[in-house]
Amino acid sequence: MATTPKRPPLSPRAVVLITLIVGVALPGALFALILVLSAATKPLVVEALIRKFAEVDPATWPYTTLVSWGSVVVLALILLTFGAVISGMTVWWEMRVSARMQSRIGYNRAGAAGFFQWIADAVKLLFKEDLIPAEADRMLFRVAPYFVMTGFALTFVALPFGESLIAADLNVGIFYLVSVTALVVVGILLAGWSSNSKWALFGGMRSAAQVVSYEIPAGLATMVPILMAGTLSMQGIVRAQGAWPWQWFVFTNPAATVAFAVFFIAQLAEGNRTPFDLPEAESELVAGYLSEYSGFRFAIYFLVEFGNLWVMGAIAATLFLGGWQIPGVGPEVYAAAKGAGALPAPGWWGLQALSMVVMVVKTLVVLNLIVWVRWTLPRIRIDQMMTLCWKYLVPVAFVTFVFTLLWQVLVARQPALSTISGWVMFAGFVVVTLLFARQTRANIAAAGDHVDMTNW
Amino acid sequence: MMTFTEYAGSFQKTAVSFWHGLSITMSHLFRRPMTVQYPDRTPLPVRDMLPPRYRGFLEVDTAICTGCQACERACPIACIQITLEKDPANPKQRLVTQFDIDEAKCMFCGLCVEPCPTGSIQHTREFEGSVANIRNLVFRWSDPVKPFPVYRVEKGAEYFARAPLGSLVRARLEAARWNAAAVEYLPPEPPAPAVAPVPAAAPAPPTPTNPETK
Amino acid sequence: MTQTTGKILGWILGTALATGFVVVMGQLAIVPAMKAMPPGETTATGLAEVLFYVIAGLTIAGAAGVALSRNILYSAIGLLAALLGAGALYVFLAADFLAVAQLLVYIGGVLVLVLFAVMLTNRITEITVSNASLGLWGGAMLFVAVAPVLLAVALVTPWETITPAAAAYTTETIGDGLLTRWLLPFEIASMVLLATLVGAVVIARKEIKAD
Repeated sequence: MATTPKRPPLSPRAVVLITLIVGVALPGALFALILVLSAATKPLVVEALIRKFAEVDPATWPYTTLVSWGSVVVLALILLTFGAVISGMTVWWEMRVSARMQSRIGYNRAGAAGFFQWIADAVKLLFKEDLIPAEADRMLFRVAPYFVMTGFALTFVALPFGESLIAADLNVGIFYLVSVTALVVVGILLAGWSSNSKWALFGGMRSAAQVVSYEIPAGLATMVPILMAGTLSMQGIVRAQGAWPWQWFVFTNPAATVAFAVFFIAQLAEGNRTPFDLPEAESELVAGYLSEYSGFRFAIYFLVEFGNLWVMGAIAATLFLGGWQIPGVGPEVYAAAKGAGALPAPGWWGLQALSMVVMVVKTLVVLNLIVWVRWTLPRIRIDQMMTLCWKYLVPVAFVTFVFTLLWQVLVARQPALSTISGWVMFAGFVVVTLLFARQTRANIAAAGDHVDMTNW
Repeated sequence: MMTFTEYAGSFQKTAVSFWHGLSITMSHLFRRPMTVQYPDRTPLPVRDMLPPRYRGFLEVDTAICTGCQACERACPIACIQITLEKDPANPKQRLVTQFDIDEAKCMFCGLCVEPCPTGSIQHTREFEGSVANIRNLVFRWSDPVKPFPVYRVEKGAEYFARAPLGSLVRARLEAARWNAAAVEYLPPEPPAPAVAPVPAAAPAPPTPTNPETK
Repeated sequence: MTQTTGKILGWILGTALATGFVVVMGQLAIVPAMKAMPPGETTATGLAEVLFYVIAGLTIAGAAGVALSRNILYSAIGLLAALLGAGALYVFLAADFLAVAQLLVYIGGVLVLVLFAVMLTNRITEITVSNASLGLWGGAMLFVAVAPVLLAVALVTPWETITPAAAAYTTETIGDGLLTRWLLPFEIASMVLLATLVGAVVIARKEIKAD
């Protein structure tokens, strides 16, 4: 019964060092690869690279097609890896933040601040027994995770990372993003059905009802930035906005602020995040559609659920928060930095990296907002979920849609309106933020405590 | 029917509850967590940080046990077992030959502590009962080979000197290893049911020996 | 007894009609079409072409799965494959908006609702529920009758081959078309949908009597 405390094999300083190296190098390397590859897989750049390094004419060189397809495949793999890594790191971050919100400490054993916990969790899941219930529909049970994974992975095709950093700037970008998520629903429904378990079935049904319902307010709210930008392309929507906060869509149109709220709530519901986690409500449905899954298949669902946070954040940042725009850097600066040659100059790469940083920061802000809401609000009932969607979000989204139509007509005649709105709304946002900070301070004081950031 | 005021009011209610809820969770973000990092990152052992009236493992100070069996009768789940015998050498002296408390069964209700006339049986602040063999959680406060005599209360005595609370349990816990083999003088667990006869090609598996009884 | 005889006679008559139809259609359509085909034209198969045949195969396999599967959920998966394949074929036709709309409407909407409806039906008691094929013979005859026509149309029609420009985005054209030239049909369609919505509500709603 007496335990002898084991001496840790590494000194605390070494643990911090290793954690920092891995925690910075892993996402850093992935971001760098995305930076290089998503710019370098464009046909013109590939041809220029071949001309430069292989010193052959790409038009007659037999391997040109092979190289360009190969680079696209590598980019796809890198994006998938990025999705997996970022979802794992999101798990770690969310657990840390949620613990702190509940006055706990959270992960703190594996590595400094418990950073390696997500790797440990993933490894543990991979070694778990892969169970398929005896009465389950074996084929559909195996197929369902692939649908979910495909729907998730496909979104990365049109997610912008920077000014020229996008796998494919589809002309129908946002429309595409909204539609590929449908595959996730199919996967969840099939998972619920094929498990042959009442909990799983209930979870699947709830999820389908929820996602189908919330697609409508999400789509309508998405229409607002689309109307303001006049394009469906993700990069086009970003370019239609300015870099400074008062030039973002969320502030230049009063309806867009409301639309952002509607969009945010609808995205929470579509991602099955608390307070809309009815499909996997632990206290009612064991784990909903995941009840019968274990091992690697379960890991896939988990990966998608947390990777979706990044996707949600990136879409919201693109549509409403100005995307990757760097203040003071317009398209002409990019063009100037790129130079006249076929291959861009080093300064251009620096600008791209900077735009990527801006985009990542905005995405992380929205991601943290989602985490924050999750650990604040309790789960809502299924009738409340439907009421919220059909009686509140859909009418509100319609109103913002119609208002934006009128607003665009007005702005076309009186462009100053948009600027005034931007300043007023931004000032309002700053005031609300300050008031909120004051309220938070008051809450801390009311609990007889003080601000103490030690032991983070 | 929902009136327009109610409809508009629900927006306001939502905004207000978001405001307060989010600011509360945010305020916790800037406060020091109150987690006690059991078991190894505490300033002193957790058992010493517990409140003094914590109901942990029971401890019997045999020096002041009167053998009245009040605790045995009080126990609602019969996890205390006491046997009294006469001392063959001295017929007037009674001996406690068995005083077993099964801490695995005990529900820490404290009903045995109440009737004890001398305060011999008490709750300690020991709670770490993870052992490989659950029988090792039976605390034997008397030894059938070396029983202890019952304590005679002097008339008018109000105070009974007792060993420091917790020291006796602590000594026992420290003496035992968590994965110690089970004590031997309990009847072994029933053997596994006989396996169905198998074809002659495969030799019958040996009867599984109970590793705990080794 | 007479009933059985009538049935058998009906089958024989139907089969004879179908066979005659096939023969006549074959004479009329397929043989001339075969003759009209340009002789032995071979083209190098690129990656895109291989991809096209893979997708076409997926679409057909999915469609066949819908019709032939004994398990209704597998039929739904077949439908998913067929719809996805059709969407991919739209991409080949450089109809980007249509392809994504196909994905959104048919997979995100229709297929999910179909799955949903399947799961809500009363007859579903376990996952191995079957959708027994009905009228196999009738279906086969219909197939035999229709296939030559379709085949003939496919072969006889002088298809115009247009190589679409890579960057020919269709979204704006579709939007302009829907809101200018085709506004009336568009609005009529939305009125029909509205009518169905109202009708669904009327059918589905329960009378709540105030006590």
